Amino acid sequence: MTRAAFSYDFPHRHLISVADLNPVDIRIIFERAAHWLAVNRTPDKSSDVLKGLTVLNLFFEASTRTQGSFEMAGKRLGADVVNFAVAHSSASKGESLSDTARTLAAMRPDIMVVRHSATGAPRFLAERTGLAVVNAGDGMHEHPTQALLDSFTLAQHWGEVGGKRILIVGDILHSRVARSNIGLLNILGAEIRLCAPPTLLPSDVDQWGCDVFHDLDEALQDCDAVMALRQQKERMSGGFVPSAREFFHLFGLTHERLEVCAPDVLVMHPGPMNRGTEIHTKLADDPEKSVILEQVESGVAVRMAVLELIGETIRRDFDSREAGQ
Amino acid sequence: MSETSLAIINARLVDPASGHDGPGGLLIEDGVIAQTGSEIDVDAADAVIDAKGCILAPALIDLRCAKEPALTPDGETLDTLTAGAAAGGFGTIVLAPNARAPLDKADGFAGMNRGLAKHGVNVLSACGATQGLAGEQMAEIGLMVRGGAVYAGQGDRPIADTRTMRRLLAYTSQFDIWLSVRPADWALSDGTVALESDWSARMGLPAEPALSERIAIERDAALAELSGGKLMIDRLSTADGLTALRRARTRDQEIAATVAVAHLTLNEVDAGGLDSAFRMDPPLRAEADRRALVEAVTSGEIDAVVTDHRPTPFDDKGEPFALAIAGTMSLETALGAMLGLVHDGQLELIDALRVMTSGPADLLGLPQGRIAEGAPADLILIDGDKPWVCDPDRFHSARGNCAWAGRRFQGQVLQTLIGGVTIYNQKA
Repeated sequence: MTRAAFSYDFPHRHLISVADLNPVDIRIIFERAAHWLAVNRTPDKSSDVLKGLTVLNLFFEASTRTQGSFEMAGKRLGADVVNFAVAHSSASKGESLSDTARTLAAMRPDIMVVRHSATGAPRFLAERTGLAVVNAGDGMHEHPTQALLDSFTLAQHWGEVGGKRILIVGDILHSRVARSNIGLLNILGAEIRLCAPPTLLPSDVDQWGCDVFHDLDEALQDCDAVMALRQQKERMSGGFVPSAREFFHLFGLTHERLEVCAPDVLVMHPGPMNRGTEIHTKLADDPEKSVILEQVESGVAVRMAVLELIGETIRRDFDSREAGQ
Repeated sequence: MSETSLAIINARLVDPASGHDGPGGLLIEDGVIAQTGSEIDVDAADAVIDAKGCILAPALIDLRCAKEPALTPDGETLDTLTAGAAAGGFGTIVLAPNARAPLDKADGFAGMNRGLAKHGVNVLSACGATQGLAGEQMAEIGLMVRGGAVYAGQGDRPIADTRTMRRLLAYTSQFDIWLSVRPADWALSDGTVALESDWSARMGLPAEPALSERIAIERDAALAELSGGKLMIDRLSTADGLTALRRARTRDQEIAATVAVAHLTLNEVDAGGLDSAFRMDPPLRAEADRRALVEAVTSGEIDAVVTDHRPTPFDDKGEPFALAIAGTMSLETALGAMLGLVHDGQLELIDALRVMTSGPADLLGLPQGRIAEGAPADLILIDGDKPWVCDPDRFHSARGNCAWAGRRFQGQVLQTLIGGVTIYNQKA
């Protein structure tokens, strides 16, 4: 279905949680992302759909990949993109987040892309500043653009994500990528499996609409896609798991183990990878199975789609306010 | 404005200490209740208050509130704290140690307490049990008890080390004071900001399991039995913890338990929007926990309800939920919140007042908290039905962090008397 086939404007000014989206919103995002994915493969990538708007990248946690992806997305759309690495500026001077946000908001940016170590920080900033906010990762809570780009990558291969069996393996407990993916895949109607040692699973995970496994070989049965999560090194030394090598032997993805999956199983990873901890290095580099670099490419396209749609909402809101006066 | 004698008549007199809830009045002479009953001779009194339609009760007593450190710029002072307390119906408040004001130094402790004495409302203080409330080295508890400390406390920081807890209980037993400690297994609770639940797991919040409280109560009750110390469970908050308390009490142990108003009237769903105002220590719990605690108030298993009033600078609540400092102001809203339970039919008025008057008074051996001949005339008059909306901008304090902001309450304090002298009059 194309957008012309139904009359519905993407209604969101923010992207804070995947739970804010309905299946039509997701379809619109994917459709625009497919457009930008094609444009990004041409030598004429620049567009002016966000011309005149300012995107503020506000990263309270160090990030190269996500921040770079958002920056590239904003710039290709013609927005003015400003990066603020707040860890090195006012936050370390003892200013509260509330004051920092209001100071930055007074500079009149239009869209804030926020990454923060605390759950709820993007919503908090949206409430305090009134600006459009895109969540680029908040604590262990959500990372919605990552989930969108993951499903978009799968949809590029399959057409539909609904009905497919997808396994997420690794540190679910501390993962915002897992939380957003579980939410989004549930909306899209996929069958979700989780596999991790009990120490890396939330206590109420059985209520999340997923099948939970502790045995990887069992979990991999007939899966259409497998998503490995990044394992934090500091959690691999006895606190949650005895060692990285024990983790690899129990939960690491290899070609041999994937033989019980669907024949054309896709292997994903949000990056950055720890080769030999969560994934065998040969599998990570296997172009037949690994879509890890496609995910990175999709990331720019999906973020362009999100920024474009939010930009449209901002302009529409502004126009209707003007008209009302 | 002191009267030598004052009669209050035609009230609904509620005195939890004697179990009286019915028509009545009293006569105050020289700051002391001289006569109670319905046969008050108004002609003998210099002044008369006709309290028709009002509830007359002992002034409330709070065992746990906090003031900001002295001289905090634009902060809450002792004057604003006591003004807020009087407006909230409190006649006696206890400053409890907290991380910002650990009250762990014996030097000047007696002097501080003398300074606290002259603010209309009776202001008492507890002392820190360990140096800096770190839970390691004992503070000079004996000297501070001599200086007026009414119990020893630990703020939000439990005693992680079992041997230290044993020694503290043993040491404080010689002064016959309560050792008040937050029940939490620190290895499970340190660094957490929420109850382990479906909600907190979805939100990815660092969370503690409810049984952290049960483990701590079982440990501390066993140590109290061993050492003979007087253990006060500081802000019981879970049904699991309540079960552990009941088990300990079957062994005939003297264990006191308090509950914060927040845990009786709010639950984790209130924090669902991640509003920093609902960031509390202990965190807000499940509705089943809240209901169990309310029932324990009715059954008499809870000795005292505390406000856990904590004024906080704007910047410290100007952070997302997980980073915001814990605590809410509640001296001015505690009675309104408790009366809400009464109006909802969850609690009887006399039970709601017991844990805020005679309950805490009996724990500390105070003469206040009761309407009896010879008791100090610390009293409140309440309009039990008057509707009002909580507006922190109208608090007496310069601070405004309040979990009940915007809530509609029914029932408000009209007048607060201390030693027969009116220190707050809502109409004035």
